[in-house]
Amino acid sequence: MKNKNNNQEIDFVWRHLRWGWWALLGYLTVGMALETMHGFKLGWYLNTDNETRRLMFTLGHAHGVLLGILNLGFAFTQKVFGKQGASTPRLASQTLIAATILLPLGFLLGGINVYGGDPGLGILLVPIGAVLLFIAVLSTGLQLKQTC
Amino acid sequence: MMNRQQQKVWGIGCALLAGYIALVVWRQVSPDPELTIDLQRDTWPQVKLESDYVSSRTCKACHTSEHASWHFSFHRTMTQVATRDNVLGSFDNQVLELDGIRYELEDREDGFWVRIVRPEGVEEHPIVLTTGSHHMQLVWFSTGEQRELASLPFVYLIANQRWIPRRSAFLRPPVRSHHTEVGRWNQDCLQCHATRSRPRIDPEGLAKADTEVGEFGIACEACHGPAKDHVALYRSPITRYLARLSDSPGGNIVNPNKLSAPESAMVCGQCHGVHLFKSQPDALKWFEHGFTYRPGRKENDRFPIRPLSPDPRLTSGLKSRPAFLQDRFWSDGMVRVSGREYNGLLESPCFKGGKFSCLSCHTMHPEDGSDLKIWRDDQLKPGMRGNESCLSCHEDLREGLTAHTHHAPSSSGSLCYNCHMPHTTYGLLKGIRSHQISSPSILTTQQTGRPNGCNQCHLDQTLAWTGYFLAEWYKTPVPALSTDEKKIAASVLWTLRGDAGQRALMAWSMGWAEAREASGTSWMAPYLAQLLADPYDAVRLIAHRSAATLPGISASAYDFLAPQSVRDDAARGIVLQWMKRENQQQRAGLNRLLFDGKGNFRQREVDRLLKMRDYTPMRLAE
Repeated sequence: MKNKNNNQEIDFVWRHLRWGWWALLGYLTVGMALETMHGFKLGWYLNTDNETRRLMFTLGHAHGVLLGILNLGFAFTQKVFGKQGASTPRLASQTLIAATILLPLGFLLGGINVYGGDPGLGILLVPIGAVLLFIAVLSTGLQLKQTC
Repeated sequence: MMNRQQQKVWGIGCALLAGYIALVVWRQVSPDPELTIDLQRDTWPQVKLESDYVSSRTCKACHTSEHASWHFSFHRTMTQVATRDNVLGSFDNQVLELDGIRYELEDREDGFWVRIVRPEGVEEHPIVLTTGSHHMQLVWFSTGEQRELASLPFVYLIANQRWIPRRSAFLRPPVRSHHTEVGRWNQDCLQCHATRSRPRIDPEGLAKADTEVGEFGIACEACHGPAKDHVALYRSPITRYLARLSDSPGGNIVNPNKLSAPESAMVCGQCHGVHLFKSQPDALKWFEHGFTYRPGRKENDRFPIRPLSPDPRLTSGLKSRPAFLQDRFWSDGMVRVSGREYNGLLESPCFKGGKFSCLSCHTMHPEDGSDLKIWRDDQLKPGMRGNESCLSCHEDLREGLTAHTHHAPSSSGSLCYNCHMPHTTYGLLKGIRSHQISSPSILTTQQTGRPNGCNQCHLDQTLAWTGYFLAEWYKTPVPALSTDEKKIAASVLWTLRGDAGQRALMAWSMGWAEAREASGTSWMAPYLAQLLADPYDAVRLIAHRSAATLPGISASAYDFLAPQSVRDDAARGIVLQWMKRENQQQRAGLNRLLFDGKGNFRQREVDRLLKMRDYTPMRLAE
């Protein structure tokens, strides 16, 4: 039983290490694209009338990077504290991964087609992602509470 | 008990939090350009929104693109709180003097100040507002009497980057008129240079000037009306997205683009027009509450002036102001001052069709990606700088344009505007296109003195020449012409004999690229020299701008405000340069431009025409 738990913990660690680093790579690339648009003063992104698009893209990039780091933090948490825990972090893991996809993607899609000060309908993914992230953080907290 | 790892995490977390708090505190205490002036807000017009207004700050949340174009426009910057960011003239210990009174401009830690040194004493006032940011800027100081403002009697001329007396920047009779226009902002300027303004003045005088405005500058609600209900309706994201996706017109708000043409034009016309109050009680009510007009609504306490209409309100309203019409209109009722395009539009045949409005050619919110720097100069829609503006309605002329214009397709003579909207309106030290769409007429020129489009471009031609071609091409009858009108170029007659308004237009026309292309520049210098000696400051200033761009002529020694002897010397210097540069033989025999067979300037003829000059005092109320 303990071995099975250990294997699961190792799986979670590897899964989130992978998600974390790949998310960082992906959203780092988005960041580079944004910088390039700054460099070439692309009106579609920089003009004052495209303020909403710029905000959405910036938020998408920032959330993506932070969620990548959060995945690494989650992997680290599982590595350090997971062994001592009684429960498996399956729910936290799944919701965190879903949030890692939905939150930044919602901002990025919301920025492609904007309606003045309102983002496009892609923004609907953001509250869903936010709730999933909330669940992930809460369940991790609860897991750690059991651990300690 | 925390282990070392947890201690590290806590340490980093606390450091980040402390850094954030430090940043917030720093932002709070760092000086803001407006902060110091805020302290004196009880002595200048108060920004106070009426209950149904929300201000442009609220509109921005949803209408970012429209807000961005408005923010870039000169409408927004028409009135601004004076800060280091938007005061254009130097206040760096600048000393200006006018009629023996010194104005010491100072840039102090707590804002801009003016120290007025009169023989009877010294006063100090804080500069609080600015007017204008496109061509010139005027600054207003608080008198300290309630919320009353007065203006510095100088304006900052942006193109020339210098302070000049305010009286020189407008077409005014050359008399010493030195005053700081105490209370003028509270009574006049706020009408159009602020949004939803209430003068709150005692009509008997300025004992009470508790002026309030909704917003400084011409903001969203000046054209769209009060927006509180609109904001309430769309606060819910569901309502908002449903409206966005259905592309339905916004509820509870006025969109001038969706109004009928006359109603839409009235939105612009509320400011871009000359009006009178419908009755004395309406005028008295305005002193307290401001205008009753709201965009899209019928109620209006004023009516636009149509000088030739038999409206009894017109005669009764102007009884005490006989010069009112003369200062604003040509004698045939066409408006002649800038910023009053609505009155011109009302008389235009295009407008009478019921579908033509300001927004047929202009847009206040250009499409995303437009070059706002180009747009904001005259706020034209894309393509409306050319013939498309007319051809979109006058389709029949699209194919046969040159048959109508009798000019080459690429010539400026084939540009509809140049004949039908010539630069016969005066303002901002230049000629501006008339917004009363009309056709060139020699008879009208004779009757009103207003240059026609043909002679304003063909400056070197006579009225007889124009009459001949108008008769040939358009079967327009040629009226009886005087000998001078037959033999001397019309521009020469207006320059030498004309009134100050005509001379100002000629001074500008001689610098207009299209006119120079059509009539050449080799003959202009002696006429510009005449205008450089004009008694009106504004005429001299415009003439100097034109002279300075004459090919091969340096006009830098001339200053339109210098003492007359210095000015005359500099003007003579310009003529001498011209005589050296231009081949005399080339102008030999150009009798209509007053050159004799050898190319000499016929000074006696010039003197004869100068004796006929119209010296009627002219004060164009732009």
